[in-house]
Amino acid sequence: MSALLEVNGLARHYPVKKGVLLQKQVGTVRAVDGVSFAVNRGETLALVGESGCGKSTTARLVLRLIEPSAGSIRFDGQDVTRVDGAAMRSLRRRIQIVFQDPYASLNPRLTVGDAIAEPMQVHNIGNAASRRAKVQELLRLVGLAPFHAERYPHEFSGGQRQRIGIARALSVEPDLVVCDEPVSALDVSIQAQVVNLMKDLQARLGLSYLFIAHDLAVVKHMADRVAVMYLGRIMEIGDKRSLFRDPRHPYTRALLSAIPHPDPSRRGKVVPLGGDVPSPMNIPPGCRFHTRCPFAQERCRQEEPALRDIVPSHAAACHFAESLPDPGLNYAGGLSEAASRRLALFASARQRAA
Amino acid sequence: MASLNSAAAAAATPVAPSAPRRPGTLRRLLREPVAAGAFAVAVLLVLAALLAPWMAPTDPLDNNLAAAMSVPGTEGLPLGADSQGRDMVTRMLFGLRVTLVMGLLSVLLGGAAGAAIGFAAAFYRRADGLLMRLMDVLLSFPAILFGLAIAAIFGPGIPAVVLALSVATVPLMARIVRGAALVVMRMDYIEAARATGMSDARLIARHVAPNCLSPIFVFATLRFGQVILLGSALSFLGLGAQPPVAELGAMAADGRNFLFFAPHIAVLPCLAIFVVVLTFNLLGDALRDALDPRLRV
Repeated sequence: MSALLEVNGLARHYPVKKGVLLQKQVGTVRAVDGVSFAVNRGETLALVGESGCGKSTTARLVLRLIEPSAGSIRFDGQDVTRVDGAAMRSLRRRIQIVFQDPYASLNPRLTVGDAIAEPMQVHNIGNAASRRAKVQELLRLVGLAPFHAERYPHEFSGGQRQRIGIARALSVEPDLVVCDEPVSALDVSIQAQVVNLMKDLQARLGLSYLFIAHDLAVVKHMADRVAVMYLGRIMEIGDKRSLFRDPRHPYTRALLSAIPHPDPSRRGKVVPLGGDVPSPMNIPPGCRFHTRCPFAQERCRQEEPALRDIVPSHAAACHFAESLPDPGLNYAGGLSEAASRRLALFASARQRAA
Repeated sequence: MASLNSAAAAAATPVAPSAPRRPGTLRRLLREPVAAGAFAVAVLLVLAALLAPWMAPTDPLDNNLAAAMSVPGTEGLPLGADSQGRDMVTRMLFGLRVTLVMGLLSVLLGGAAGAAIGFAAAFYRRADGLLMRLMDVLLSFPAILFGLAIAAIFGPGIPAVVLALSVATVPLMARIVRGAALVVMRMDYIEAARATGMSDARLIARHVAPNCLSPIFVFATLRFGQVILLGSALSFLGLGAQPPVAELGAMAADGRNFLFFAPHIAVLPCLAIFVVVLTFNLLGDALRDALDPRLRV
């Protein structure tokens, strides 16, 4: 497998200005602060982390909807941050996005058919008739009916709209689809449908996904590899199995154990994370997680740990990744019971569909 | 991808409903009784204005001093005569013509320029500060002052009034459009459109502008009424329609002097202005609703 998307040292800093007339910079929000990862062809890399950790900013940087402050993004060998004009247009065809909010991601004034056909129009693909045919085909592909093309977005449910958003992204046959929390706004039962649809489409069309999520059950179902972000940096990245079975970073452990559980007697086993996420304007020195880490030592306050391989294809940014005590959690394969039940729900939805 | 037809998709595919095709914009507009009424009155007003030279019983400048200030119902003068003994029916028809052209032109020209500036300010954030400060400067002058300045440069008359009212409309429309566009620009579908790599002009025309139509329509119709009244004020000051040209505002101003002896000279043009403004307000509201797919049944 060759890397389709390679991101190196990607950063996006926002200056914070004060004053009405003579603005002076009083600080910097380091939304994304040196992120490196790769997405291979046909693979799903999940980017997880809590709100405000820079997941969505990373997605928009990859799409070049915002310009990076530093770092490089290579897509199929081309540096996305340096191309312009025609080359950028052709790159835009190959990278598409699916959004979180299905209510905001479709223009209410365009029919669904027009919305799906638009990317093809922009890239001058086919003529009006062939585009119409393609729209019908795409609608069928995502489980809607051809006659839906004449309707407007407000006539659809959230799950249906998300399918329309997926159809729009697929209309120009992209190689990479960036999914910015594509199911977190949907009901669990609808999530299963959409997640399974995305997996089916990936298998058929050979898509790669950069899948942003904060729901670990969905991630476990979708991803091949997982990257855990915290305050604009990747804390741990690795194969899904390895990462869920044997998380090497205290933050990943906390995330895994924080999946809600209905059984009160198990509450004691959750690794509680004290405090809040520090402000990205004022990132702690040393390891940026040390303020909340139950295992923090003096070294963590001084020295920022590098992201290093712990086992092959599983890296963590923790000085003590090898020597962390056994979390003593029965994850049931890395996940709590509630999350496992959700996974089972996804699987059964898929069986029903088959 | 042609042969791809998932089992899941097939199972979920519902049958196309046999409902008839959706009605077009005009038909939807006319379904509301109020809207249909406003539309009919607007058509009548425009027709009356267009056909004034053929419909009017006399020439608007024919005066018969013997009949001056005749009350409505006088023989041969169904709406009476003004202070110079000119037929009110004729004067109103010709006045309507000038007033409508003045109002529509000012709102269209000023609104278009203002909308363009508003979209540019919302879209190109770098230009925002400069553009909006320029609009603030324009906003700080009253329309009457523009009228004075422009009349001083180009000479008084209808073109000067249209220019002054257009310029006075630009900053108002620019502010409203900028605000509406800023809201729309934050929507995900704008990012999705950007991600396809479409040009800025296309993005604005297809995604931003159509979603800003509501406030634009509401403001344009409100402004239409204001512009007519402002135009009348300018005419009253002697900067607009020059006597003896018939213009509703100027006629109302003229009748002011005879309010106690012959109220119809002032009241009739005012009534006409009222009908024009009300009609176009109702029509604008109805048009806004008819153009919004979310309100379609």
